[in-house]
Amino acid sequence: MCGMNTRNFLDRFRVTVPKLEQLVRTALARGGDYSDLYFEYTVYQDLLLKDGEVASGGFHIDYGTGIRVLKGERTGYAYSESTEMPDMMAAAKAAAQIACSDSAASGPTYCSTKADQKSVMRSVNDFYPAAIDWHDRAVSDFIPVLKKLESMIFAKEKRTAKVIAKLSWSESEILMFNSFGEIACDFRPIGSMVVSAVFSENGQSENKTSSRSFRMGAEMITEAMLQEMAEEVVSGIDARFRAIRPKGGKMPVVMGAGASGILLHEAMGHAFEADFNRKGQSVFSGMMGRKICADNINIVDDGTLHGNRGACNYDDEGVPGQKTYMVKDGVLESYLHDRISARWYGVPPTGNGRRESFRFNPIPRMRATYMESGSASKDELIASVSKGIFVDEFSNGQVKIGEGDFTFYVKSGFLIENGRLTAPVKDINIIGNGPRALADIAGVGNDLLIDNGTWTCGKDQSVAVSCGIPTVLVRELVVGGQ
Amino acid sequence: MEERMTGLITDEEIRAAEGCMDVAERCGAQQVRVVLSKSTLDACSMLNGGLDKVSRSSDRSVMLYLFADGKYGTFSTNMVEAGELEKFVRQAVGTVKMLAEDRCRRLPEPERTEKGALTGRELGLYDPAYEHLDSEERHAAAQRECIFHKDDGIAGHGSDILSGRHQGVRIVSEELEYSDSVDDSLTMDSNGFKGRHTETSFAVCSEITVEAPDGRKYSGYWWDSSPFSSGLVREECSKTALERALSGIGPKRHRSGRFHMVVDRTVSSRLVSPLFSALNSASIQQETSFLKDSLGKKIFAEGLTIADMARSHGKPGARLFDSEGVKTCDMDIVRNGVVDTYFTNTYMSLKMGIAPTVEGVSRPVLLQYDGGHSGSLDAGEMMKLCGSGIYVTGFNGGNCNPATGNFSYGIEGFAFRNGKITHPVREMVITGDMISLWRSLVYAGSDARACTRWQIPTLCFENVDFSG
Repeated sequence: MCGMNTRNFLDRFRVTVPKLEQLVRTALARGGDYSDLYFEYTVYQDLLLKDGEVASGGFHIDYGTGIRVLKGERTGYAYSESTEMPDMMAAAKAAAQIACSDSAASGPTYCSTKADQKSVMRSVNDFYPAAIDWHDRAVSDFIPVLKKLESMIFAKEKRTAKVIAKLSWSESEILMFNSFGEIACDFRPIGSMVVSAVFSENGQSENKTSSRSFRMGAEMITEAMLQEMAEEVVSGIDARFRAIRPKGGKMPVVMGAGASGILLHEAMGHAFEADFNRKGQSVFSGMMGRKICADNINIVDDGTLHGNRGACNYDDEGVPGQKTYMVKDGVLESYLHDRISARWYGVPPTGNGRRESFRFNPIPRMRATYMESGSASKDELIASVSKGIFVDEFSNGQVKIGEGDFTFYVKSGFLIENGRLTAPVKDINIIGNGPRALADIAGVGNDLLIDNGTWTCGKDQSVAVSCGIPTVLVRELVVGGQ
Repeated sequence: MEERMTGLITDEEIRAAEGCMDVAERCGAQQVRVVLSKSTLDACSMLNGGLDKVSRSSDRSVMLYLFADGKYGTFSTNMVEAGELEKFVRQAVGTVKMLAEDRCRRLPEPERTEKGALTGRELGLYDPAYEHLDSEERHAAAQRECIFHKDDGIAGHGSDILSGRHQGVRIVSEELEYSDSVDDSLTMDSNGFKGRHTETSFAVCSEITVEAPDGRKYSGYWWDSSPFSSGLVREECSKTALERALSGIGPKRHRSGRFHMVVDRTVSSRLVSPLFSALNSASIQQETSFLKDSLGKKIFAEGLTIADMARSHGKPGARLFDSEGVKTCDMDIVRNGVVDTYFTNTYMSLKMGIAPTVEGVSRPVLLQYDGGHSGSLDAGEMMKLCGSGIYVTGFNGGNCNPATGNFSYGIEGFAFRNGKITHPVREMVITGDMISLWRSLVYAGSDARACTRWQIPTLCFENVDFSG
């Protein structure tokens, strides 16, 4: 049982434990091995500042329950937007159909996470206590916040032509129940602020964006955060106007600390997700326990960072949140598992079974993915490069899971010439191969930075994540330039 | 039969939506738009010839657009029971009144709205055959298309393909999904507009991963979809996916330089999308459009003509009205390189002081441009006409700066010489700016896929900057 008041959650969804048990029995009636229920009530609100006024906004309510049946690795899934018993029973029967297939499942059975307490942090987790509930504040309280952020940006940079700022927040009440009789409940707040500005100079336009997102209550909005975001938006705008597209080719690349972690997420993290590996599709399939990069590299997927966008008290299968080393001292140590892959590999689930909402079945997903700090300083890493690129802002990355090939768009960075940052660069791509790039890491900085932007992973479903990385030097990547 | 119909809006639900408008007006909203949406999707997924997943998704929601005291907000809920809806509307009106005034927010004038979308089926996008499908048929439909049979391994086309020049290649996995759905939406506003749109969709997709003798893995993907069960091209979906996976084996680096670029019809819409974003008045008003001040001017190559064929009967993407209820029409977006249309909704029209059009593109059709070459034109023909260059079959990452039009995209595809493919290429990017790229359009094909909402054929550009 979770530490929160389970009764409140049961009341929210107008269910009782006997009703939950009846639903699970119905879901398993045709021979399923395991079943779980996922109830969700989410209220999302947003406010948009545009052209100097907060003149649009609204709220959106989402309510329902998803019912899953597993038979071996096979999944039956259905959901209902009503929690009236007849509607949920119909969904349970639809999900149960998966067990009607002719072939019988083989392999180990599904296990309660209670049996794995040695390897799983039992959840007395509270990684996102909300000091100020969002719904306790009036929408009008936040309007001055957006206007203040806008005025800070205009005050800092006279070339500012337009500012768009959006504040959004949601609170989700989640109730999970499974065929082992386990109940988990979770209250999940999340707040996000995004500001984008357009700057004009001599008929030329450039835009920059800054964002912050936390699993926190309204206390996340502080004067310091607004100052930080305003500064981030205007900083480097001179360089952006002067930036060039460099000559392309193969060269060393120094990735700046923080947001470059998206490369880690896309190019390596997805290939560590156990569903791709179970199906043999990942470039890392069959490589468990093998050395894949230098000794000083540790790559982590972590659901335990307090207030972090990727934090999970429980994942969406009711498995307690935890921290998972995917690569430890250069060796592939663990994939990221949901219950299906954990059963298949014969290991405990790692708390990575996540979903966008009750409309989706959970699949292995990342949380906060980062590389731990090494020993080099940022300056040392840059100084070691005679000709290359320093990247401080990536976007629009994409990876091919099987091949491991990735491409990332560089929004801003600098040329490195003779160990020094020189001309600013923009609008180029960096191309490489995940395993090769990992093996090619020549230096890891001592400056791990978790980026608290509004990162959302889009593997079939949208899920809030975060990422981070220290400054990292990769010996050789392809830079697509002029 | 009755259960199947849950994907369609009932009279009771329509009355509930009408009730939302009444409550909103009683609470002080001067104008209201309500969109009632309902959908059902069933999917059956196969992994290596065996059943992997069955799912059923049924959704319904009410979206409310409120205009009160010159203020505007959008709200939605899927808790559509009568008591819940009234509470929702009252809260929504209370919230919208806290926002700042914006007098440009209002419903479109009634004379601009569609009058003939009464049943939702006027465009012929609803297939009654949908009502008769059941889970066993879906399973059978999915199983039929698999080349991987769970007991026997590769069967049929798969073994034929692998026994040829791809000896030693192993199929790692075949993931195939069959799905069908119905979407029904009803839009009503307090100016008297009422419009319904109903469509069914049937789809099959397959992704195959193979492992080459050197251990590298390659994936291929293929799909088809149609509003009609009988229009779905199910056959050979996995075979095509397998052929695409195999064709990528053994990629080589290619030298950097400026080459002809032939962009396959399956991915060419990626290059059109930034144009539509830039032609949206919201982008222009926010100064994030590289096509500001371009209306009526010749910006692109003579060969570029894109029309929006929004009212094409029975065709994917067709619609009689946009999200505001404004009547669509068949119209030019770009004609012989001249920009003909900005997409301007009611709000942007009032804000910018320009004439309204529709809020976005529906079914864009990029017309064939053969540069004097007669007959049909596809990728193979274009490669022959160009001689040498790069044939792009996929984009991998990258971006287009909306303010400047500068782009950089990772690509995958093949080098070709003397009109014939020589080898797959790897780790290449293209860079440039959108206006220059579209000025260098040499050919636009006649081979857009019937299943897509955007009818963008294979395209050919000259002098494109590749690096790798």
